Amino acid sequence: MLNIIELENRWLKYKIKSYLPYASIIISLLVILLISYSFIDKNSPDIKLTQELQTHPKNTIVVLKEKKVPQLKEKITPSQPILKQETKIIKLSPSLDFMKKMQNSVQPYYTHEHTNYNTFRTPVKVNVPKVEKVPKKKIVVQAPKVKVDSHRIKIKRQNTQNDIHEIIQRFKNNNNPALSLFVAKKYYELENYNQAYNYALITNKINKDIEVSWIIFAKSLVKLGKKNQAINTLKKYIKQSHSSSAQILVDEIQSGKFQ
Amino acid sequence: MNSSIFVKSKDVFLDIVNAKDYIQLDRVSTIYQSLKDSIKKPLKMILLYGKPGTGKSMFLNKLHTDLSTTMDVYLYKTPILDESEFYKTLAQDIFSTKYSGELNFTQFMKIVAQKKNTTIPVVLLDEAQLYSENLMEKIRLLSDTRTVKFVITLHKTEKEDLIAKEHFQTRIWESIELENASSGELKIYIQKKLMKANCFDTANMFTNKAVNKIYKITQGNYRDTNKLLYTLFDVYVSYEESNQYSKIKTDQISTKLIEMAAIHTGLINA
Repeated sequence: MLNIIELENRWLKYKIKSYLPYASIIISLLVILLISYSFIDKNSPDIKLTQELQTHPKNTIVVLKEKKVPQLKEKITPSQPILKQETKIIKLSPSLDFMKKMQNSVQPYYTHEHTNYNTFRTPVKVNVPKVEKVPKKKIVVQAPKVKVDSHRIKIKRQNTQNDIHEIIQRFKNNNNPALSLFVAKKYYELENYNQAYNYALITNKINKDIEVSWIIFAKSLVKLGKKNQAINTLKKYIKQSHSSSAQILVDEIQSGKFQ
Repeated sequence: MNSSIFVKSKDVFLDIVNAKDYIQLDRVSTIYQSLKDSIKKPLKMILLYGKPGTGKSMFLNKLHTDLSTTMDVYLYKTPILDESEFYKTLAQDIFSTKYSGELNFTQFMKIVAQKKNTTIPVVLLDEAQLYSENLMEKIRLLSDTRTVKFVITLHKTEKEDLIAKEHFQTRIWESIELENASSGELKIYIQKKLMKANCFDTANMFTNKAVNKIYKITQGNYRDTNKLLYTLFDVYVSYEESNQYSKIKTDQISTKLIEMAAIHTGLINA
């Protein structure tokens, strides 16, 4: 009779022995998997970080924009909404200032001038102090506003003699009375009264109903020493248009307020 | 299940070479038939070779049993290593000449020449690789006389050495190789062997899985299979006798018990 218990023990040892290679392979595979997993796990945050780094600047830009816009609003709301300012700047704020200046210098009670300049190109004339103020606000508030500043700088640069020639060139191309009127005003401002007279006259020839062109024309005549011709011209215009602005200017010329 | 069946089954696989235990397998039967046919031909020597445990001895036994009724067949299961003794034994068995004292090859050849039989006797020499080279030369010379026909069995490696010798190569008329059983043949071998002993229950216990396991361990070697199955049934008997019968499966052969038997027999190094 065989010793079954001893034989079973030997068999058990044999089975363990026979499964050892498989067990060791499985364990080593598991270890390799774990190591590789941990290696990947270590690497993955880096990847995420790099991904974040890659995406973060974009995000931050967005965030900054988003963040700074409200700041801007917060800062500006007490005095003046910035968006309105921007629209003004883009549209007509330089020309409005220019018109105001003109009103101050030519006739202080002109009120409808800005409506005529709606069609003017924006980069005509910028009030220098205002241009300086707005960027200051914007630089403090938001980086992208620098672009707006750059636009404004352009506007400022265009406020030169060359720009008048550019506008004259444009006027020659499209014969727009608004452009000739602008040139007349510009020359008047630069105290080139002959040219102001000429362009006011050209504007009148194109469109006789533009009140400002008549006023610039008359003012240029006064400055050129042709006071009577100016008064006569204005009176003829008043007869046609019953313009109160023209009448006021006639009174001022006659009283000697405007010389 | 009756416990005596395991004891009976165990005895079936006792490693005894007995022609009665010869199991007819298709491939083996074909080889056997060709061997039988070869003996009837006027050839000098037949070589039967194969690895140990492939059934060479069983073949010779079966051949001896089958041919002994019709032919003069002499089987020498164990080699006679002494040359004089070899001649004396042949002289006595084949030619009925008792010789006292030393008998050399020349004297033996005289006896052969004097007593020429009408039928050529067939001498079956098992384990011929154990014979000396000198004696093998004498056997060759004896076969050249056509007075005695030899069927020798060799292990494969020895056969290769033997065949390398040109004079043997030219004289071997027929060489037959025996191989291990395939898995399918092994199942038939086991079941036929058990059924021959009326152990039908245990024969049915051998599933393909169990046979494949046995084949994996023994590589289809008949001697190793017999040894393994003898021990396997011994394990079953041991379980029975130690009242642990409930611990083992009895509807089919357990692979665990096969492995245990293999460990015990040394077929598995545990």
